[in-house]
Amino acid sequence: MSIFHSLNSSASALTAQRLRMDVISSNMANIDTTRGKLVDGEWKPYQRKSVSFQPKQGQFSSFLNVAIGNRDRGAIGNGVSVSRIQEDNETPFKQVFDPTHPDANEEGYVEMPNVDPLRETIDMMSATRSYEANITVLNSNKAMLMKALEIGK
Amino acid sequence: MAIPSIMAMGSGAAPNALKTAPTTFESQQKFGNFLKEAIQDVNTAQVQSDVMTEKLVRGEDVDLHNVMITAQKASIALNATMEVRNKVIEAYQEVMRMPV
Repeated sequence: MSIFHSLNSSASALTAQRLRMDVISSNMANIDTTRGKLVDGEWKPYQRKSVSFQPKQGQFSSFLNVAIGNRDRGAIGNGVSVSRIQEDNETPFKQVFDPTHPDANEEGYVEMPNVDPLRETIDMMSATRSYEANITVLNSNKAMLMKALEIGK
Repeated sequence: MAIPSIMAMGSGAAPNALKTAPTTFESQQKFGNFLKEAIQDVNTAQVQSDVMTEKLVRGEDVDLHNVMITAQKASIALNATMEVRNKVIEAYQEVMRMPV
């Protein structure tokens, strides 16, 4: 199915961007979640999650192609996949003064998730644009294939 | 003078051609098999598209874009088959139009 190779690569990118979007949705939804995780009998707020990507690992055939010197076949790549979803431990939790909150500490401060709505919005726009770009690539690929079918008409 | 030389060329080439060229029946079988396999592939793409659409409608865990892409693949494969078919029919009609 090598004529659909590029379509498959674009499809993997679309799937990856969808997953990124899902993670962003989760971050946005949990923007006020103070009980994200129970650590040593104490509630910790929700931690912002982010997605990292890696090139998709090839099938056996692509490794074989590289091994027998058919380099250009193996070097095209197979698209992208999500390597992992990690929690953001760098950004500190926001401290909000609210003594009436059930999760407030002795001084009346509540730890809020380290989710920044601005950052999430920008990430969301980036994911949307990437998705659109990949759909454009896909449509161009299809247009090329359909043009090829017109040869000799 | 010209005709014997052509005949000589023909006799020289004939034994080779006889060895390699398959009989009419064989070539028809091969062509038939090729056509059958090609159509089988196209059918597989269509069935895959159907399965994906059904999964989506049933609410299973499939991405919308994957459904669309599978449908597009099936459509491209079918279009390619149609082009081949059109060419074959064109060739057939060309032969049928040949004055005898």
